[in-house]
Amino acid sequence: MARSKKLSTRQQPEPPAPPPPPQTVAAVDMGASAIRAVIAEVAPGGAPRILEEVSRGVLLGKDTFTSGRIGAATVEAALRALEGFRQIMESYGVTRYRAVATSAVREAANRDGFLDRIRLRTGIEIEVIDGSEENRLTYQAVKEKLEGHEVLASEGALLVEVGGGGADISFLRNGEPIHSGNYALGSIRMRQSLASWRGGNDKRIQLLRRHIHNIVEDIQREMPVSEARDFIALGGDVRFAAAQIGGDARPEGSVPAISRDAFIEFVDRISMQEMDQLIERYRLPVADAETLVPALLAYQELLRLTTAGCILVPDVTLRAGLLLEFAPDREGHGIEDYGRQVLASAAALGEKYHYDAAHARIVAHLATRMFDDLRAEHGLDRRQRLLLEVAAILHDIGNFANVRAHHKHSQYLISVSNVFGLSAEDMAVVSNVARYHRRGTPQKSHLPYMALDRDTRVAVNKMAALLRIANALDVDHVQKIKDVKMVAEEDSWVIEVEAAGELTMERQAALARADLFTEVFGRKVSFREAGMRP
Amino acid sequence: MKPSGGSRKREPELFLNRELSWLEFNSRVLEEALDGTNPLMERLKFATIVASNLDEFFMVRVAALRQRLQDGDERPDQAGLTPAQQLSLISKRVHEMYGQLYHVAVEDILPAIAERGVRIVRVGELDASSREVLSRQFRADLFPALTPLAIDSSRPFPMLTGLSLNVALLLAPAEGEDQARLAVVQVPGRFPRLVRLPAGDGATFVLMEDLVKQELRELFPGQPILESAAFRIARDSELDLDDEGGRDHLQVVEEELKKRRKSQVVRLEVEEAASGMLLDTLVARLGVRPEDIYRIKGPLDLRPLYGFLGLPSLDDLKDRPFRPVTVLAPRQMENIFDTLDEQDVLLHHPYDSFDPVAALVERAADDPDVLAIKQTLYRTSGDSPIVNALARAAEKGKQVTVLVELLARFDERSNIRWARSLEEAGAHVIYGVRGYKTHAKICLVVRRGSRGIRRYVHLGTGNYNERTARLYTDFGLMTADAQIGEDASAVFNAVTGYSDPPRTRKLAMAPTMLRERVIELIERERRRAEAGQAAEIRAKMNSLLDEDIIRALYDASRAGVRIRLNVRGICCLRPGLKGVSDSIEVVSILDRFLEHSRVAYFRNGGDEEVYLSSADWMPRNLDRRIELLFPVEAPECRQKVVAALEAAFQDNVKGRRLQPDGSYKRRRPAKGEEPFRSQVHLQREAERALERSRAAEATSFEPLKTPEGLGGR
Repeated sequence: MARSKKLSTRQQPEPPAPPPPPQTVAAVDMGASAIRAVIAEVAPGGAPRILEEVSRGVLLGKDTFTSGRIGAATVEAALRALEGFRQIMESYGVTRYRAVATSAVREAANRDGFLDRIRLRTGIEIEVIDGSEENRLTYQAVKEKLEGHEVLASEGALLVEVGGGGADISFLRNGEPIHSGNYALGSIRMRQSLASWRGGNDKRIQLLRRHIHNIVEDIQREMPVSEARDFIALGGDVRFAAAQIGGDARPEGSVPAISRDAFIEFVDRISMQEMDQLIERYRLPVADAETLVPALLAYQELLRLTTAGCILVPDVTLRAGLLLEFAPDREGHGIEDYGRQVLASAAALGEKYHYDAAHARIVAHLATRMFDDLRAEHGLDRRQRLLLEVAAILHDIGNFANVRAHHKHSQYLISVSNVFGLSAEDMAVVSNVARYHRRGTPQKSHLPYMALDRDTRVAVNKMAALLRIANALDVDHVQKIKDVKMVAEEDSWVIEVEAAGELTMERQAALARADLFTEVFGRKVSFREAGMRP
Repeated sequence: MKPSGGSRKREPELFLNRELSWLEFNSRVLEEALDGTNPLMERLKFATIVASNLDEFFMVRVAALRQRLQDGDERPDQAGLTPAQQLSLISKRVHEMYGQLYHVAVEDILPAIAERGVRIVRVGELDASSREVLSRQFRADLFPALTPLAIDSSRPFPMLTGLSLNVALLLAPAEGEDQARLAVVQVPGRFPRLVRLPAGDGATFVLMEDLVKQELRELFPGQPILESAAFRIARDSELDLDDEGGRDHLQVVEEELKKRRKSQVVRLEVEEAASGMLLDTLVARLGVRPEDIYRIKGPLDLRPLYGFLGLPSLDDLKDRPFRPVTVLAPRQMENIFDTLDEQDVLLHHPYDSFDPVAALVERAADDPDVLAIKQTLYRTSGDSPIVNALARAAEKGKQVTVLVELLARFDERSNIRWARSLEEAGAHVIYGVRGYKTHAKICLVVRRGSRGIRRYVHLGTGNYNERTARLYTDFGLMTADAQIGEDASAVFNAVTGYSDPPRTRKLAMAPTMLRERVIELIERERRRAEAGQAAEIRAKMNSLLDEDIIRALYDASRAGVRIRLNVRGICCLRPGLKGVSDSIEVVSILDRFLEHSRVAYFRNGGDEEVYLSSADWMPRNLDRRIELLFPVEAPECRQKVVAALEAAFQDNVKGRRLQPDGSYKRRRPAKGEEPFRSQVHLQREAERALERSRAAEATSFEPLKTPEGLGGR
């Protein structure tokens, strides 16, 4: 107790600093069928300790995915739920929180007004995140949960979460997501598309299966689903299935796993039941019962394509991922991890288009070295550095379509591809930077470029300026130049390279591609080899 | 799983009728009034309780049966009795009960009290000067408040308030007519029923209705009065009262139906002296059925006699004053959070005082590390230290959430007043949960300690009410168990509407989970018996009505589980039926303190489990209430509950045993057996426990760990 502490401090000349008290934090997640919150304590070095989890069914997805906007009654329900959550947060003295909304809010036409009302009435600032951020957060929590599990060493594991608005699917190799994307398998959307179907249940299930099959075929074009030997499933619907199938005979703390056959059989069985039976039998809320079968059918179809013998169903949520962001000693570590995952995923995309990996790697290296040396000049941040690196990796993938005007093909391919952890806005930046790695510099007539806002265009110019030079330094694709350093001299920047061999081509190319650099950074550029002073 | 209603077998022979079972309960209360070994004033108290219980019973239960009869609903209840059959059995039983009640009140209790100088006299028996004083007082105060109502067939019968006292009189026929006319005077309820005479030895009272009768001539000047008699009616109250005097709004009552029911008189009590002619006229106008007429040999409405318990001169005729003991030392209450970090605390009221509960809320209000207090308040008083502490906490900026159940008391206005004052202090007050009554008694304190957030929870079987905590037997558990704390948060989130009903781990909540949980536990015991293990269930509650649970108990009995139940009030389970309930024993304790705790014990193959609950095993509680069932896990706490539970089954003084036919047999000490009265025993045990802990404290030396310890504190 408090008294003894005082005495002991006198006996010990150098008391160890007391550990800082845990912080109380909250994560709020506005999903398609419910608003949920979790309140937890985070202490340095420890996993978050959950104090409370609350959930309130609010059918945001049903509104957005049918009518494109959130209806008045749903807005009110959401406000009431969040008011309550705020009370709960206050009762724990929560100091930091992160509240996010996903597709059901993101895609609503009235989202700005909606978020404004939330802010005014509850004081909660909701951040709308896109699929890639959602993916990243969830993946982070999966990794935490499955730490040490053999599935993270798997050659190919499919990570699937079927949500209300879409399905997030990643293909993991050695635990790193190398392909990832959000696909039109949202359970609410699927359910809505069949809402007016008046035929029998059998036929309805058939239609659903066909729809799912078509989309899964598209997914297979983007990632090698059938190479997956392991299957990790997230989401309320699959957790429900696991609870029904698995019973509770497993050691405390282990990750629930259900056998492939049991799962397939369960989904077949449950899909034959009418809605009323589901509600009655499993005591499900109507909203949950409506999405259960479409979601489970999607998991089933994906599972069938893999060779996985069982499904792992870790109890992982987006909120768990949000909480990890608060853990004090995880922050830096998390970002490095994240960067590695993004780059691995970009490399996988490159492979898909048969890129020159060695060239891509050296260009990325040189571009980021220049970026770091010019930090004070360009004022860009770590995230933009990562985008530059991704653009450097992918700048040549347009060659897959045609070597002629390949920079334009690169731009198009990147703009329609997924890279784990990057949002559509990120990909727009990357695709533009890649486009300007050769030939013409940005022009007002370039539509994709002009679609960016002004600040972003400025950033693209800076990044493209560096990429152009970096690419020129490996103009022969033989990696003669190993490293580069940008040295400031009176009125110019010197590109100082470390290299083996003759560099005439490189010098010429680099100086030719310094056009944008000079325009952006306002100084002339010269070229020299390291150790050779003029 | 709950079997659906339709598929349920009808086996009326397995169940007792709830109304008759309730009447059995009331007759056990009456037995206490009759019992000459009880102190006189306690007997008077029991007599007034019998009377007040009957009032409620007519307004609620009899009225509902009457309504069903009128609607042509002849479906039998689970015991196979139609509404008509039930009403006729009720009338018969209540008539007997009235006979006994008035016999003991008028012939036994009141004369004995009169010997001590407290008497009720007739105005006619007073001397002229006293009558003159009364008469003057009447004309000054009462007369302006009286409205004489002449009744004739051209006007509708006036709407008399249910349970009010009235005087009916016959006036001589008017000129040219041959029929006596009926008139009614309502005795205003805001004047005391017992009018104390200003002078004289001891305390002499006259009854208000007697006084009114004496002065009728003033109200009907010039009209000859043939006779007069006091009467009282009971009407449908449209309210469902629960075991704690709270009320339920009946589900969906249509306006029309309401009006019709309101006009329906379900009982007429009338002075025995009323003539046939007066009674016939009155009955015809009120539309009362013959079986609902009760002719009373004594004062109508015995409830006001309860006021005699407030006369200091009669104090020696009451139970010995009783002091609850406080299980925690002042130091432990001062540091209640440290105390609860180390141990769970189980309180058995009224033997254990309520102080530790008040201390928890008060400390929570003043402790700077406490972030939030959440509490249900079902019946409490405005000046309660708990309400004051909650207001103080809110003023200090702590998050205070109070769930107030407004349907809980008749005096809603005073409830609203203190609820408003809590709101003004900054508390978040929630007035009930739509569609459900919040009956759970739970208090949650969230505190930030040096190692993070900790939750402290009090869970009880009785209300946060210091007064009833001295009169009702209830259990309370105080704990810092993390899982219970987490569940408690979830429960509050659900009842405040912040979250959908949660999955709780240790607590089971009605209406979502409680019945299932109880049935699961009963079935687990049955399976153990079937597997050849010793199996046993003990439970205590106020009422046992739920058919699903009763059937589960029958199945358990058939499998050989030993089942002992202590059910104070209604019990629809029939014990001792061959092949059904051979191994079930039911007792009921009626004594000084109102038995109110709800407990369940399961042997569970030797790994005993004990649960406490706010809920009776009644459909109403399990389906339309927010209720809680919670485990008592600390061994010493569990032991205390088990010992208390066991004591009731040993009681051979105030214990009664339910017979297979639904009657109760009072237990007597067998030859050579010592009388054992469980409430007295538990009182002594509590005192002994306190002495033991004091002795332990006196012989142990607490080391002083800091120089502070040497100072004043």
